[in-house]
Amino acid sequence: MKKSKLAAVLAVALLTVGATAACSSGNDSAGTNASPSPGASSSSDAVNATGFPIVNTPIKLTFFAGKAPSAPADWNQVEIWKEYAKMTNIDVDFQLTPVDSLDEKRNLTLSGGELPDAFHTSRLSAMDVANYGAQGLFIPLDDLIDKYAPNFKKLMDEHPEIKKGLTMPDGHIYSFPTYYDADFKSVLIGSELWLNEDFLNALGMKEPTTTDEFYQYLKAVKTGDPNKNGKNDEIPYAASGIGTLLDQLKGAWGLGNRGNMHPRVDIDPATNELRFIPTAPAYKELLQYMNKLYSEGLFIPDILTVKGPEVNANGKNGLYGSFTGTNARVSFGVADNHYVGAPAFKGPHGDQLFSRARSPLIDIGAFVITKANKHPEATVRWIDYFYSEEGSKMFFMGIKDKSYTENPDGTLSYLPEVANNSEEMNKYVSFAGGYYPAMLTAKTFFGGESYPENLEAARKVEPYWPQEVWPAFTYTADELAEFTPLNTDISKYVDEMTTKFVTGDASFDQWDNYVATLEKMGLKRYMEIYKAAYDRYKA
Amino acid sequence: MTKKKGRVEMRRSPPATFAAGRKPPPLLHAMRRNWDLYLLIAPVIVYVLVFEYYPMYGLQIAFKNFTAANGIWGSPWIGFDHFQRFFNSYYFDRLIRNTLEISLYSLLVGFPAPLLLALMIHEMRRSWFRRTVQTITYAPHFLSTVVVVGIVIMMLSTQKGIVNHVIEWAGGKPIGFMTDPSWFKTIYVLSGVWQSAGWGSIIYLAALAGVDPQLHEAAIMDGASRFQRICRINLPAIAPTIIVLLILNAGQIMSIGFEKIYLMQNDLNIESSDVIPTYVYRSGILGAQMSFSVAVGLFNSVINCMLLVIVNYAARKMNETSLW
Amino acid sequence: MYRESIGDRIVGIVFAFLLVVITLCVLYPLVYVVSASVSQPEAVVTGRMWLLPSGLTWDGYAKILHNRDILTGYGNTVLYTVVGTAINLAMTILAAYPLSRKDFVGRGVISGFLVFTMFFSGGLIPSYLLVRSLHLLNTMWAMVIPGAVSVWNVIIMRTFFQTSIPFEVQESAVMDGCNNRQVLIRIVLPLSLPIIAVMVLFYSVGHWNSYFNALIYLNDRAKFPLQLILREILVQEDMSEMQQSTLTLDNILEKEIIKYAAIVVANLPIFLLYPFLQKYFVKGMLVGAIKG
Repeated sequence: MKKSKLAAVLAVALLTVGATAACSSGNDSAGTNASPSPGASSSSDAVNATGFPIVNTPIKLTFFAGKAPSAPADWNQVEIWKEYAKMTNIDVDFQLTPVDSLDEKRNLTLSGGELPDAFHTSRLSAMDVANYGAQGLFIPLDDLIDKYAPNFKKLMDEHPEIKKGLTMPDGHIYSFPTYYDADFKSVLIGSELWLNEDFLNALGMKEPTTTDEFYQYLKAVKTGDPNKNGKNDEIPYAASGIGTLLDQLKGAWGLGNRGNMHPRVDIDPATNELRFIPTAPAYKELLQYMNKLYSEGLFIPDILTVKGPEVNANGKNGLYGSFTGTNARVSFGVADNHYVGAPAFKGPHGDQLFSRARSPLIDIGAFVITKANKHPEATVRWIDYFYSEEGSKMFFMGIKDKSYTENPDGTLSYLPEVANNSEEMNKYVSFAGGYYPAMLTAKTFFGGESYPENLEAARKVEPYWPQEVWPAFTYTADELAEFTPLNTDISKYVDEMTTKFVTGDASFDQWDNYVATLEKMGLKRYMEIYKAAYDRYKA
Repeated sequence: MTKKKGRVEMRRSPPATFAAGRKPPPLLHAMRRNWDLYLLIAPVIVYVLVFEYYPMYGLQIAFKNFTAANGIWGSPWIGFDHFQRFFNSYYFDRLIRNTLEISLYSLLVGFPAPLLLALMIHEMRRSWFRRTVQTITYAPHFLSTVVVVGIVIMMLSTQKGIVNHVIEWAGGKPIGFMTDPSWFKTIYVLSGVWQSAGWGSIIYLAALAGVDPQLHEAAIMDGASRFQRICRINLPAIAPTIIVLLILNAGQIMSIGFEKIYLMQNDLNIESSDVIPTYVYRSGILGAQMSFSVAVGLFNSVINCMLLVIVNYAARKMNETSLW
Repeated sequence: MYRESIGDRIVGIVFAFLLVVITLCVLYPLVYVVSASVSQPEAVVTGRMWLLPSGLTWDGYAKILHNRDILTGYGNTVLYTVVGTAINLAMTILAAYPLSRKDFVGRGVISGFLVFTMFFSGGLIPSYLLVRSLHLLNTMWAMVIPGAVSVWNVIIMRTFFQTSIPFEVQESAVMDGCNNRQVLIRIVLPLSLPIIAVMVLFYSVGHWNSYFNALIYLNDRAKFPLQLILREILVQEDMSEMQQSTLTLDNILEKEIIKYAAIVVANLPIFLLYPFLQKYFVKGMLVGAIKG
């Protein structure tokens, strides 16, 4: 009797396990519900090719989205989405995940959960888009764009680099991007290098135009007491980390001539071949220059460990001779701007290039449609609106007369209760945090980068914009398998050694050693794969 | 229950349920007698089988090239490729070295600290004092890693950190703690002790609560000092707890938390601060690298397991305490 | 009471002194966090504030508590914690007790069986698929069943049973006619209050702070625990340069402060749990029961 009780318990245990195993293995495919192939949806004839509403019978869609800390917590309550649902007849349910756990949840959803109809603002890397697209989890959009995305199609026709950047190694487009208007230079730049105009005047110096003059200016700020308070408390250059200054100064040595989406690779003008920037002789000179600045104390103390908010919070003390940021008014919260944008400095060899130029294709994987989506045509029409001026306006500004007004000169301004109040603004719009699928233009976006000082600063550097700015490249799965370990180690080594050269922890005698180590790490193979991706882009 | 003075004798004869003369094998007998113990533990076994053992099939992706479309079962085998990639990394030596050093250092300093704290607290006679100390010392456990690192960095800042103020006041030169690789491990370990010693002492305090005060009274009669009493009575009484915790900790050597190191790392101290989890994180930046991170995790687990077995064996030999 | 020798008294004083020093050292970050949560963000971020609040402001708390979801978050967390801890406790005792018995055949094997799972885990995807196939997704059970057994705690509790509860006492009870279940309930558990208190503390804190299970298994915001709601507004890293800034400095700074207020809001309740459990650690309580 006692034995059988034990046996019974064990038997139950085994059965439970067995049953569970049987249930689960059945589900362990890509974990999606059986879905119709794209295009063969039941409602394709019910989608209106233009105009609103998009569909005549209402449909529901589920979007997975990443929520940045500054973005609203529930997009289904945000005004533009409520309004848009009415306009389009499509009820979208946004399922948000906080950004710092986005990767895990997204991978889980892709690998084992129920696929949403689309991923919106989900920070998918170009690689992810290429991979999942090739695996069939995301549907190709080429035909759909042709037929159902007139606005985006127009954009692609006007700017061929969009199509080139979005085309994945297998030849298809799988995603809609974050797109900044190529003419809106100040937003493409983002953070400028600003020089303190008051200090320049106090020191009797004119605006520096060469790297040498910049150095002189910084030195004068440190020793010349331009704020005339009897103390040498001025900080010549303030920022969190040396990265942005490095990127900015690269141009003065002719480095970075294909834009800042490729911080380590550009084209060698002498050979017209791909060049690995961190081993170029000009890079050594650049680092030596930065090292000079560092060792003479021209950077904010603790520049390598100080955090952005701290740098900004101290900005209003007016002690910075120069800094990198959006602009003084936004970054420091001050009412007046005393800074001017820096020009593209001319380097010792006469190079003058603005190397911090970004490609208008800011984020490639902003919006993708999954194979579970039964209404891909309608979805494409849905997203296409945000690449039109009207849609872009709604996305960034909100609802007319509720969150913004139109000024007589044609510009738009947020209403006072919304401007500078993120809580109020988040009731109307959801773009805070970036990585969204939409087009941003000077007519539809009025944030910090639209301020007059930014526009002026952008105008200054525009003549020195690179002739060609590459968007991010994409790699095939095989290439990626080899490329990732190379890239991980090489990038890390370059970053480490760059910092050490600048701070002086590594002396420049070790330069050859540094180059040799990179070769040993597989730099040649790295560049070969890079070239393969580049050739694909060019084609 | 009847009162019994002195030790109870264990009866060796089996209970009357067995007919006299028939002796069942002792093992089976013990099993039968304790059938309800098996019943008690059964739900746990079922749970572990279902929720822990069954999902282990996911480990195979360490040997596969996992793609979401193919799922776990359908992805192609690639053998030890992921492991090779890991071993071949330029930074492999550094990663292993740092991971082990930080763990061992943590163990060396961080293991005795809660014990000593508990022993001292236990000696305090005023309960309000004990309670206050306990409550305050275990509080830092609740601070998020981000906040703790923020505080540490602030305190060690060369410009306005308290520590450097004190150093300068004593006549020294400020030290760049966060940018000097030789300080990293110490800072990591000490801040860890700061945050978790109080919490760790809880278990020892609970164990100490089980020490018979009569033993202490008897020892005092015999003239033993407090120190001797701690060493000869308290410690041996909680020795099994200490050893078990030591063994369990040995089984965590390769498992360093990602977040704290990541927040404290920078390019200048990376020589000392680059560890396995941060490397895996870096590798994943270009795109999902699920197989790779599972492979590295498996590697860590195997090493952890081996270490635990070794330490367990040693513990059994020395003190007859072990995990199984 | 007995007269303490001088030596003993000195040792006692030294200990007390050390404890005071340690307590003060540890007190600092706590005071800092509380001060930071009510200070002007700018003072905190620049490092001006380092001990006492600077520019008293309750904005951080206001921001958090304004969020109506916080209340449901609290409610959910309490529910998950209570239910979860109860399950944890039951499972841990059910495993630890048999394993603590010398005469439990197979205890070595079963211990090994359990310990093995501490090292090897199949990962997120299989666990997720399992929970999904058991139809636990988006339910409270997904929060309390995965993780119901912590082998670490089982081992600790087992060790406690082994060392603090003499086998002879249990043996004699069995001789007197109790079966094992009764021994457990009537003898072992009453004598194990310290370890039970510890387990309640450990498990409660674990549940209270958890957010990862909620993140992957829950979809309804109405079911979210507190930590998940807080995470939505916590800034864990520097604002990346890529984003356009319609936010002014004030907005950014505000976010910096929230993380301190969040700690206080999230942890105060659980932090107060310990003093209640503390009385079970009083020495001598255990032994009196044995004698009786």
